Amino acid sequence: MTKTEIIQILAGFGGTIGFAVLFNIRGRRLALAALGGLLSWFLYVVLGNFIENEVINYFLVSFAVSIYAEIMARVIKTPTTTFITTALIPLIPGGSLYYTMANAFSGNMESFLQKGIYTLELASALALGIIVSTTITQIFYKIISPNPYHYNDCSLSKR
Amino acid sequence: MIGLFKYAMDIGEQMLISGAEVHRVEESVSRICYAFGAERVDVFIITSSMVVTVHTTDGEKYTETRRIINTTTNFEKIHKLNELSRKICQTKLTEEEIKEMLNEAINCKRFPVWAEVICYALIAGAFTLFFGGSVIETVVSLLVGAIVRISISLSDRVIGNKIFRKFFSAAVTTLLAFLAVKIGVIEKVDKIIIGNIMTLIPGIGLTNAIRDLFTGDSIAGLLRSIEAVLIALAIAAGYFLVAVLGGFAL
Repeated sequence: MTKTEIIQILAGFGGTIGFAVLFNIRGRRLALAALGGLLSWFLYVVLGNFIENEVINYFLVSFAVSIYAEIMARVIKTPTTTFITTALIPLIPGGSLYYTMANAFSGNMESFLQKGIYTLELASALALGIIVSTTITQIFYKIISPNPYHYNDCSLSKR
Repeated sequence: MIGLFKYAMDIGEQMLISGAEVHRVEESVSRICYAFGAERVDVFIITSSMVVTVHTTDGEKYTETRRIINTTTNFEKIHKLNELSRKICQTKLTEEEIKEMLNEAINCKRFPVWAEVICYALIAGAFTLFFGGSVIETVVSLLVGAIVRISISLSDRVIGNKIFRKFFSAAVTTLLAFLAVKIGVIEKVDKIIIGNIMTLIPGIGLTNAIRDLFTGDSIAGLLRSIEAVLIALAIAAGYFLVAVLGGFAL
């Protein structure tokens, strides 16, 4: 790991804490949410050594971090979104969104389209990672317990 | 039963206001209604509205609609509401207990404004560093972030529209970044703007939108997508306007 990468991991961690506080996450949940942000960019850097395609890397990191979020949410009984939303913050394609904008401004249409589509690809990779992990956890919990939702024990049998 | 039904609506409404996912709110509301003894529950929820019809065991029907206008992400509140709905489903709470827990959730503590100012500064500085900014750029970004949050507080009363707020914040960010270049503290604006854009950007909105679309909440997903695109355009517009009017070169 290079020095730049370590700085990035720590900076992403700091940014995640900032957002977690803005989203009013408190106590133990704040610590776990911040840890998720640290974990996500760490994984991105590690996987980046093996995977060249950034979109695939985004998908894998998003998947892994969402699994982390699902587990933590069940351990301390809180909605999964708390951890997914915060852990993925370092992955938000803010840089490429800015360059999309700057290219549109300078009339460079080709780079604008290229950057714009790339930004959408990254966002879709993030979303897909979350969906796949949610689906897998749901199937897993359906198999090990008849009630798929840990947080809510109402029976839906009346429906 | 009919009297209790109002609490299911209140809980759902508060969850949506705090930014919970549509899917989750639909599920919580219907489970709570079943726990109160409904025979059939039909729930339709999108990010801006909820419609619920309950059939009771004595053959009565009850429908209520709620319109959701402003949402602010508040995970502490969602956590408390989640606890409340779990308790309602697991044990028989009395009406008083439900009312008390609901009030506690609605009035849950938020961090004071100065803490948010520090957070904006922290986020802006961290992401300037993250995207390869130098130490001086990071410090400038920290200051810009703090000023942007203060300007949001000052302008909130005047600007009611969310999109215009983003436009305004982007304009303030760009102006401050170009001023820093004019003074000669930094050479280029890009890292400062990228760092500060992170606080305004609809990145979470866009990701959630795509997620909603994939999981079948098409209408909620479309609404969120359009909102994300509009916010991105508003940020771009704020940035362009200042850059053009100020005659700044990129």
